[in-house]
Amino acid sequence: MVHLEHVSVRAGAATLVDDVSIDVTAGSWCTIIGPNGAGKTTLVSVMAGLRPVAHGVVRVDDCHLAELSERERARLIAYVPQHPEVPVGMTVEDYVGLGRVAFHGVLRAPSARDRDVVAGVLERLDLVTFRRRDATSLSGGERQRMVLARALVQSTKVVILDEPITGLDVRHQIDILELLKTEVVQCGLTVIATLHDLTLAGTFADRLILLSRGAVAKDGSAYDVIRSRELASSYGMTLRVVNVDGSDVVVPVRGDGAALGDDLA
Amino acid sequence: MVVLVIAVLCGLVIGPTSISTWHIVGNALSHVGVGHSTLTPLQSLIIWQVRAPRMVLGLVAGAMLAVAGSTFQGVFRNPLADPYLLGVAAGAGLGATLAIVNIGGGNAVPTWTPLLAFVGAMVSVALTWLIGGRSLRSTPTTLVLAGVAVSALFTSAQTYLQQESSSQSIARVYIWLLGSLASASWSSIVLIVPYVAVCVAVCVLAGRALDVMSVGDDEARSLGLSVRTLRLVVVTAASLGTAAVVSAVGLIGFVGIIVPHIIRLLVGTSYRRILPLSVVFGAAFLVLCDTVARTVIAPSELPLGVVTAVIGAPVFVVILSARRLGTS
Repeated sequence: MVHLEHVSVRAGAATLVDDVSIDVTAGSWCTIIGPNGAGKTTLVSVMAGLRPVAHGVVRVDDCHLAELSERERARLIAYVPQHPEVPVGMTVEDYVGLGRVAFHGVLRAPSARDRDVVAGVLERLDLVTFRRRDATSLSGGERQRMVLARALVQSTKVVILDEPITGLDVRHQIDILELLKTEVVQCGLTVIATLHDLTLAGTFADRLILLSRGAVAKDGSAYDVIRSRELASSYGMTLRVVNVDGSDVVVPVRGDGAALGDDLA
Repeated sequence: MVVLVIAVLCGLVIGPTSISTWHIVGNALSHVGVGHSTLTPLQSLIIWQVRAPRMVLGLVAGAMLAVAGSTFQGVFRNPLADPYLLGVAAGAGLGATLAIVNIGGGNAVPTWTPLLAFVGAMVSVALTWLIGGRSLRSTPTTLVLAGVAVSALFTSAQTYLQQESSSQSIARVYIWLLGSLASASWSSIVLIVPYVAVCVAVCVLAGRALDVMSVGDDEARSLGLSVRTLRLVVVTAASLGTAAVVSAVGLIGFVGIIVPHIIRLLVGTSYRRILPLSVVFGAAFLVLCDTVARTVIAPSELPLGVVTAVIGAPVFVVILSARRLGTS
């Protein structure tokens, strides 16, 4: 579904993403992990078609991303940035409705079908009671559900999320990830997300891609990647995996192993 | 709409020669074959050749400046943006100064002034766009900064020209810069209305797109909006319309920044409402301000830009205070 072939991204002399090739299959959940500055946000913005590549090709659903118009791309990929901008004075319903602009355009009002899709997603994500509220008045968890709703009303095959649970408490983190998992399982959605929480990344994703200094350091099942030597090496510290009631928990070990910045732990 | 009707009536009725509303309405109806006019030929001349063109030019200029201000504030997501943001004022100022100092020789405001002001405004906006908006990586900030640089360049050229000219020319340039509807005529209205009509229509139609842009460039692109194309189209429309208006009435300040804010305080932040209301309210606001400008110290006139600020600022403060009381 999402296919990257030898993709490199540069900013001046710096290489932010270095020769990355990834193939994400339809209806799966792929999470990109890695330390700060590894190039996760750059990589997902390339996948969303928002950043040009220096080399390589990005294809989504067999379409060459660089050849698509913004409108065509928005019907194929929904993107949730790390810090979504929520305009003052816009209602939750209007904010979520922005996700249908690629369908009705900017010169026409939303059609009955657009309104139905918005109403359906508001219901599914339990946002109906907030729909007339000012979007900026919502709590962190409600706001993140609203942003996710905006992405889902785009009715795309792929949703790309950059740190979708940043700043949320553990309950709301699980709520958001469960909602996404339901969409993957029930609707066949392809999810590509970046996450800092390695335990949650391993729990929800079908596949983990470890990014280090712009390159893929490890790519595989959650079980393999969180136990890999490359994971500890990328973070420059010792990480222990503990199994609790059948779930793997990644625990950083304080003062043990290499200091931050070392290549090996 | 009520405000607009009141403004139109004020623009026609108030003046040194007392003419009642009913006589004006009767005269207007007689032009379409209903009833007879009770106005003397002189009164009819005052209404249709002096007050009406001035009032219509006020409507056109006010609507364009307010809608351009709203558009700039939306497209740059900057509440301090006004129609002169990308150098229209500096370019028009240089063009007008060139006309008054070099062509008119400082003795009068030559007929070339509007044309040179228009050309100056469009050259400065084009230069701003070439410097700050052409690159794929350009952001709204680079475009605004390019506008600041071009404005500084054109303003310094204008200052140099003024310094080199006579005090008489400086006074004429200064009067032009403050803006006025005094030279209104049907011919000047006919000249700018086609530009203004198209530009206002383009800006008003962009309301939904500007609402999408309120989430930022990258998110708007991910939602399917061609941000670069939209910015090019609406900035061109707002600048062209503003340049046309400025060429006819000079630099009238404050309308393009205060009217959008007053409307935003009254009806919320959606550009689908702000833009059409800017047309109506901007038009009414400028005609009312002009009525004050030409009557307070009659037979002399106050500079229109001063009146827009003196009336607009307190209105804005009152609405802002009322909103704060309402939300606290």
